[in-house]
Amino acid sequence: MPERRKHASRKGRDSAAARRTATRDDNAAPSARPFWSGTLTFGLVSIPVDLYSASRPRAKGMRMVDKEGHPLGRQYRCPRDGQVLSTQDLVRGYETAGGQMVTFTDEELESVAPEASRDIELQRFVPLSQIPPLYFDRPYFLAPAGRSAKAYNLLARTMERTQRVAIGTFVMRDHEYLAAILSDNGVLRAHTLRRADEIRTPHAIGLPERTAAPSQQVRAAAQAIERLTREALDMSELEDRETAALEQLAQDKQRRGQDLIEEPALAADETEDGGAQIIDLMDVLRKTLSKNAMVDTADEAPGRTGAGARPMRAQAPRRAPARASRAPAGGEGSRPTRTDARLAHASKRELYKRASDLHIPGRSQMDKAELLAAIRRAR
Amino acid sequence: MSAARAIWKGHLALGEYRAPVKMYAAVEPRTVHFRLLHAEDLAPVEQHIVRKEDGREVPKDEQRKAFALSGDTAIILQPEDLQALEPEPSRDIELCRFVPRTLLGDQWYDRPYWLGPDEDEAAYFALAEALEGQETVGIARWVMRKKRYVGALDVLDGYLMMTTLRRADQVLSFSGIEPGKAATPEANELQLAQQLVATIEGDFEPQRWRDEHRDRLYALIEAKSRGEQIAPPARKRKPKPASLVEGLRASLTAAREQRLA
Repeated sequence: MPERRKHASRKGRDSAAARRTATRDDNAAPSARPFWSGTLTFGLVSIPVDLYSASRPRAKGMRMVDKEGHPLGRQYRCPRDGQVLSTQDLVRGYETAGGQMVTFTDEELESVAPEASRDIELQRFVPLSQIPPLYFDRPYFLAPAGRSAKAYNLLARTMERTQRVAIGTFVMRDHEYLAAILSDNGVLRAHTLRRADEIRTPHAIGLPERTAAPSQQVRAAAQAIERLTREALDMSELEDRETAALEQLAQDKQRRGQDLIEEPALAADETEDGGAQIIDLMDVLRKTLSKNAMVDTADEAPGRTGAGARPMRAQAPRRAPARASRAPAGGEGSRPTRTDARLAHASKRELYKRASDLHIPGRSQMDKAELLAAIRRAR
Repeated sequence: MSAARAIWKGHLALGEYRAPVKMYAAVEPRTVHFRLLHAEDLAPVEQHIVRKEDGREVPKDEQRKAFALSGDTAIILQPEDLQALEPEPSRDIELCRFVPRTLLGDQWYDRPYWLGPDEDEAAYFALAEALEGQETVGIARWVMRKKRYVGALDVLDGYLMMTTLRRADQVLSFSGIEPGKAATPEANELQLAQQLVATIEGDFEPQRWRDEHRDRLYALIEAKSRGEQIAPPARKRKPKPASLVEGLRASLTAAREQRLA
């Protein structure tokens, strides 16, 4: 949903480099975190927050390549003369129901774009049970930004006490989103909601009118449900066995040296699997809310309710065991420390920031691996 | 609106109890989709997949996906690899278990689908009736178009609904959040906040929140197709309070006044 630059001509803000060629980078890493920063407004109270994705994508690190492993991109061409087009040569058009093609300038589209706003205004508090799950679109975590921890806690606690969630709207990347703000275990989430007019009714679909089923059959169905009713979820039923199988297959091929590409340019940015992002959010929550903050994934559920659950570390390296130990200057054979793992998963921008904090000379010329190595040396 | 087409057909299987169903998308996104045109001749552009290094075109049957293993290695997935990973085709939607609905938080839910009866209406409506009013949802697994899915079976407005679920390692939560002293709200602040919530409490009425941006976009399209222009929207501003308590009080007063008005 948050559009990751669908069109090469997306508004006039694209970088100069992007404007020169319309070859789209399909493998571009998602933008730096947090996703969005803004302010929750609750009456006249403002709570600055940062927004982070709350669900990790499934298929991580897939890239488009040719048979030999060369990275692929997308190119726009004119169908008439085959000319390769740059974004400057493109306009956006809309084909009306009558088949008329109407074109739009960026200025025209901007004139109707939502007013650039950094506010999520909480407009109404409603019982969570009133929101049918089919409205839920994408979940995001909200972390307190700046010195907003107290107001943030106030809102989180109040929502938990009153058993209410807040409905609000906000503007992100030129789109206006409707969201439910929920409090879960002291952490706020913004779950974007689908709009009422995007939800089809059974009637609109043309489902038959309800008819009373024979009571004997209803009983049979009730018994079938009864036999399958359990007290708890079984996480093995909710596991991602497919990605696990894919990983296994890839590892087998790696061992055989089959179809192996070894090129840094191809590396999946770790932000793609959300690993680095979760660690960031942990840092933020630890700093702003609580030193004991812990992250749990549902598949680690047994420890979920336990007080000391499990430290963050359990999760990041699990996703990519090779990375932490492989990193430069990581120390031969030594187990990576938690901070090391965290560093290995940090984005270049974060590494650069740490390098600045450590006054590492020449940092602006360093690539990611060099930054990582320099930070480790400096510490 | 004309009747929608089913995207798939299968059988709900609760042990021995079976109900043939058709599956329909429950969401119809109304996002405005633009086409990219060549400015010079307004021809819709063609997209070509090319090698980044030399711009050479790569036909569809030579395009592959590479799975990144770690920092600098990736594995090219060949058609036979993908075939090896394909699940056995089946028309069964297997119900693994029914659990209290509260065990599935909002973060799990992904895409909703309506299920409708396929011929046997009695089997369908008997199941809907049996499930309705219960505080449980069914966890289901099935294979559709060569992909595995996990979903939650529930009833809404008397009809069965299947919502696909995110997978266990995608769903995150936090624990151990006990804020430090300075960040702990005071009793009077909690009280004021609670009162403020009460003043703007209500029912979930999704139709209240239209996507105004989309409305304006459609209005613009409409106007432009008639060769007209439309005026830009008006803007609004809000004052900022000095402290948390002051803000809560002022909001409370404003909300009450609004309520009386």
